[in-house]
Amino acid sequence: MKTAQAGTLESMDCIVTVTETEKGRGISIAMEGASIVRFGEAMLKATKDTLKDLGVRDISVSIQDNGAGDLVLKARVEAAVRRFAGVRTP
Amino acid sequence: MRLRRTKLYLPGNNPNMLLRGHLFGPDGVILDLEDAVAMSEKDAARILVRDVLKRGDFGDCEVTVRINGMDTEYWKTDIETVVPCGIDGIRIPKVEDPKDIALMDEALSQIESKARIPVGRTLIFCLLETALGVWRAFDIARASKRVAAICPGGEDLRADLKTTRSENSEELIGPRRMIALAAHAAGVDALDTVYADITDDAGLRRETEWVKQLGFQGKSVIHPNQIPVVHDVFTPTAKEIEQAKKIVEAAAEAAARGLGAVQVDGRMVDKPVVKRAEYTLQRAGLKAGGEKA
Amino acid sequence: MTINAAGRNIPDTIPGYGEVRHFKGHDRRPPEGCRFGKRNRAAFNTRRDKTLPDLKAAISASGLKSGMTVSFHHHLRDGDYVVNAVIDACAEMGIRDLVIFPTALFKVHKHLTKHIQNGVIRQIMGSVNGPIGQLASEGGFSVPVVLRSHGGRPRAVTSGDVVIDVAFIAAPTADNYGNLTGAVGRSACGSLGYAHSDAHYAQCVVAVTDNLVNYPAPCIQIPQFFVDFVVPVDKIGDPAGIVSGTTRVTRDPMRLLIARNAAKLIEATPYFKDGISFQTGAGGISLAVAAYVREAMRERGIKGSFGLGGITEFFVDMMKEGLFERLLDVQSFDLAAVKSIAENPNHVEISADWYANPWNAGCAVNMLDTVVLGATEVDRDFNVNVNTEADGAMLHGIGGHQDTAAGAQLTIITTPLLRGRIPCAVDSVYTVSTPGEVVDAVVTEFGVAVNPRRQDLIDAAREAGDVPLVTMDELVEKAQELTGPMTPVETEDRIIGVVEYRDGTVIDVVKQLKKK
Repeated sequence: MKTAQAGTLESMDCIVTVTETEKGRGISIAMEGASIVRFGEAMLKATKDTLKDLGVRDISVSIQDNGAGDLVLKARVEAAVRRFAGVRTP
Repeated sequence: MRLRRTKLYLPGNNPNMLLRGHLFGPDGVILDLEDAVAMSEKDAARILVRDVLKRGDFGDCEVTVRINGMDTEYWKTDIETVVPCGIDGIRIPKVEDPKDIALMDEALSQIESKARIPVGRTLIFCLLETALGVWRAFDIARASKRVAAICPGGEDLRADLKTTRSENSEELIGPRRMIALAAHAAGVDALDTVYADITDDAGLRRETEWVKQLGFQGKSVIHPNQIPVVHDVFTPTAKEIEQAKKIVEAAAEAAARGLGAVQVDGRMVDKPVVKRAEYTLQRAGLKAGGEKA
Repeated sequence: MTINAAGRNIPDTIPGYGEVRHFKGHDRRPPEGCRFGKRNRAAFNTRRDKTLPDLKAAISASGLKSGMTVSFHHHLRDGDYVVNAVIDACAEMGIRDLVIFPTALFKVHKHLTKHIQNGVIRQIMGSVNGPIGQLASEGGFSVPVVLRSHGGRPRAVTSGDVVIDVAFIAAPTADNYGNLTGAVGRSACGSLGYAHSDAHYAQCVVAVTDNLVNYPAPCIQIPQFFVDFVVPVDKIGDPAGIVSGTTRVTRDPMRLLIARNAAKLIEATPYFKDGISFQTGAGGISLAVAAYVREAMRERGIKGSFGLGGITEFFVDMMKEGLFERLLDVQSFDLAAVKSIAENPNHVEISADWYANPWNAGCAVNMLDTVVLGATEVDRDFNVNVNTEADGAMLHGIGGHQDTAAGAQLTIITTPLLRGRIPCAVDSVYTVSTPGEVVDAVVTEFGVAVNPRRQDLIDAAREAGDVPLVTMDELVEKAQELTGPMTPVETEDRIIGVVEYRDGTVIDVVKQLKKK
């Protein structure tokens, strides 16, 4: 399974892992971390918006959050997706 | 005059520091894409730094980015990414050749005009981290109007000098003197390298006092707790400000009356003393003017 | 329902709590009633030894029955063995439905969870902590937890709002006729300040000790005439959890920045002069504020009068250096404080009643110039939340927050503007623990917001020139800009926590969290 990752678990950062899914399966997002109870919706939106901007239609995203704001989350999603695009299936 | 007492390095892949570093009140921040970022993280750091720059929330800080060296594959992408965000300047590591600065000047102009930023806005801060770079300090400082400051290296320079760190950094006395001399000859700031031991406030103070005496305008810092110490050294004391005010006022009065000689507290004061007093007031933020912004 | 002076909509009666006296303002409830206390008793000289062989014997002798109220102090902090041992013994003896009334609870008391679930404990009054708070927040109790401050608790005891049936007092040293001290012994904890009202007012007092000494005990803090029984046990606690070692001032730059801002504000006010009195917590920011203030006192040659509250080595050193004349110690945090209270007559043990009870002839917080406190949240009206976390769980007690804030001339709340993504300055706090009317300034890394009702402080800070002044609205807006909008906490209607103000009125309630 093709996968790529970006970010750290330092304070105000997150680790975003993106994994290949079958074409047509769409976007699935899983999140964990303390801010999710109050910011889960915002985080979902930030992630979806970034994927849309990057033209990604089918992908599975997993976010381990340690207090990242939208700015950081979006930067990490973008970095993970760009790495993903550069990664060859092993 | 742009105060450059402290420039705080912010690791380019660390959101916490990138977003909050300016709160510690340095005169400038350096978003670092070079040594603070592992090779494997250059891409992610560049994206993060770009987005933090776009947000542009740095208080009153002068915002610079330390790009990767011009001998690497990264530097062009670095400037293409960060310069359109409208930064105050870039910091180039390991500068050795005035031609590189000319090349950079051109590259910056292209990016600026494409991004509709006033051409020439992005300043250049040169890190002279090799013997050759230090030797050519004056030419490098004059290689572009964008050059705002030259700075000696630390560990890299020691290695290039085939020496090691000593307790009082005696091995860097010569290079620091050369850089102060070259900077002021070229009309740019001389800014010192970092003090590595972040828990040794007394050592930091000693070194800062020494480089101030040599003619440096400021010092880079790697930890927020170093800022108050360096500011304390580079900020004129209330007594110094008081004395400087007296001198500048006396000089103005003498000029108004058409007198050549200036007297303060019954003593004659020379022109250089007046000049120095003006500089003191500039550093205290009480008088405009001074060396190149 | 009634909207109280803190703007909270509170029912007029709460199941399991009873009729609500609504909060009308920090000094609006006149005291009522008298102090009488425990029933009289006599112990003639035929019984010259109060020791009993074990806890069960003491529980029987005390007359403790199902449904009664038992109290404990928290001077052994996270090292305490006594609370768990007493409730275990009660459970084994078939006693149920207890109301436990501790001065505070710690992580170590997670052990009580099973007794809550199987009905040995019906209610907790006074304080919660992590796991028990989580249990309460999820609806684990049949009746609400009642939170009281360190001053509100002795007020409730001395006024008869709460009748303690049996007080179990962990005593690091006791003699066989019931003289107690925390100053010495293998489990020494220094002050026994929080235990005094319980000793004075409980219908029966059982001392539990692991250091039984010859009569009379040294450094007596709680005298024999309050104590009915003494139970020697192997160990009352783990010294490592009772007191901490040396507390170092933080090097964390963000905390130091906030602390420096707070210190600048203190130095700018007229309270910063000879005779200043001072209280801080033992947390990272608080201690750093103390360090900056100490520096400024040295530089300007200022001598303070007293340090109050929970005492640390830092305050002990300041007294030794002559920066304080005396320490008024309700709780000793570390080894140096324990040693000092045993040896130095200027290091004085005070009770919680003396420290913070609003219903006496004047408590110590009234003489306080400056206090530095923390918060989980503050809001536009300067209301402070220390009880609930961002997810709505009630995980912390009030401590002395309300009392010192109301008593001190200058009440400073220090908090980072954000913890991770969670904002600490909000439109309206989730729970009001301390009302904004007794808070003077909120200090963050983004600046210092002074309560507009303290124009004198704003003027003083402006005059000083180095205090980074902002408004509370600016802080809230900055936080919102950085974090984005939050989704609200989802709750049931059921009230699981009642937050009393120090005068016994209800300032806020906490609702049960919705199951996810």
